[in-house]
Amino acid sequence: MHHWMGNCKKVTQMVSESLDRKLPLHQRLGIRIHLFMCKFCSRYRKQLLILREAMHLQERYVKDTSPTLRPEARERIRRFLIENLNKLK
Amino acid sequence: MKKTGTAENHHMSDPETWLEQYGDYLYRFALARIRDRAAAEDLVQETFLAALHARENFKGRSSVTTWLAGILKHKIIDLIRKESRNQPVEDVEPFIPTFDDLFDERGKWKIGPSKWTVSPLELYEQKEFWRILDLCLSELSSRLARIFTLRELEELSTKEICKVFDISATNCWVMLYRARMLLRRCLEINWFSSETCEDK
Repeated sequence: MHHWMGNCKKVTQMVSESLDRKLPLHQRLGIRIHLFMCKFCSRYRKQLLILREAMHLQERYVKDTSPTLRPEARERIRRFLIENLNKLK
Repeated sequence: MKKTGTAENHHMSDPETWLEQYGDYLYRFALARIRDRAAAEDLVQETFLAALHARENFKGRSSVTTWLAGILKHKIIDLIRKESRNQPVEDVEPFIPTFDDLFDERGKWKIGPSKWTVSPLELYEQKEFWRILDLCLSELSSRLARIFTLRELEELSTKEICKVFDISATNCWVMLYRARMLLRRCLEINWFSSETCEDK
C-alpha cells in the first residue's frame, strides 16, 4: 500500500501524468486499485479523456465552421507573395 | 515525377495560386492552435514565404497541403517559443491554483466530479459547447493554454514541450495537471450539470 493511495488529490495528479508519460508499474497498479474503489476519481479520469477528445474535435470544428482569411489580410499576403516572387526571379 | 499528386504539384510552379488553394486551410489550421486572428494571418504569410524559398526542395513525396502544414507547424512552435521567452517571469502565472476548494486536508474530494454522460462526438453539433470550451481555454493563463494545446493538439511529447518553454519535465507535468484541473472544472460549472454532491 502506497502512502498516496488513499489521497484523491495525489491520485488526480498521477492520473493526469499518466496521460503524458508511462508511469512505473507500481504506480499504475496503485492508481487502478484506487480508481476501482473511488467513484469520483474514476469520473475525473473519464473527464480528462473527454477533454482530450474534445480538443481534437475542436480542431475539426474550427475547420468546419470555415473561418476565412479577412479580405484585407488576403490582399496583403497576395502582394507580399508577388513581391517576393519577383525578387527571386 | 510520380503520377500521384501531379495535379496538385502543378501548383508548385505557380505560387500565385497558393493563396487561393491553401490560404484558408492554413489559416484555420493556425487559428485552431493560436486562437488569434492577426497572429494566424501572419503565420500564413510566413509559411508561404518559407515555402517560396524552399520550393526547389519539395520532392512531391507528400501532398502540397501536408508540406505546407508541416512548415506552418514549425512556424507556430517558433512563435510560441519566442512568445514564452519575451514573457516577463511575473506574468507567467498570475496565480497558482491549489485546488483547496476541491479537496479537504487529507486529499479527499470535497466537490466530486460529476458524471459526464455526453461524448464530445454528440456535443459536436452543439455550438454552445464549443463556445464554452473556448471561454474556458481563454481563462487559463496564456502559458498554460499554450502548453496544453501543444500537448493535446500537436501531441508534442513533454520532452519537446520542455524544450520550447525551457522548463523541466516535472514542471511540465504540473502545468498540464493545472490546465486539466481548471478546464474540467470550468466545463463542469458552465456546461455539464452538477448532480454530484448528493450521492457522496
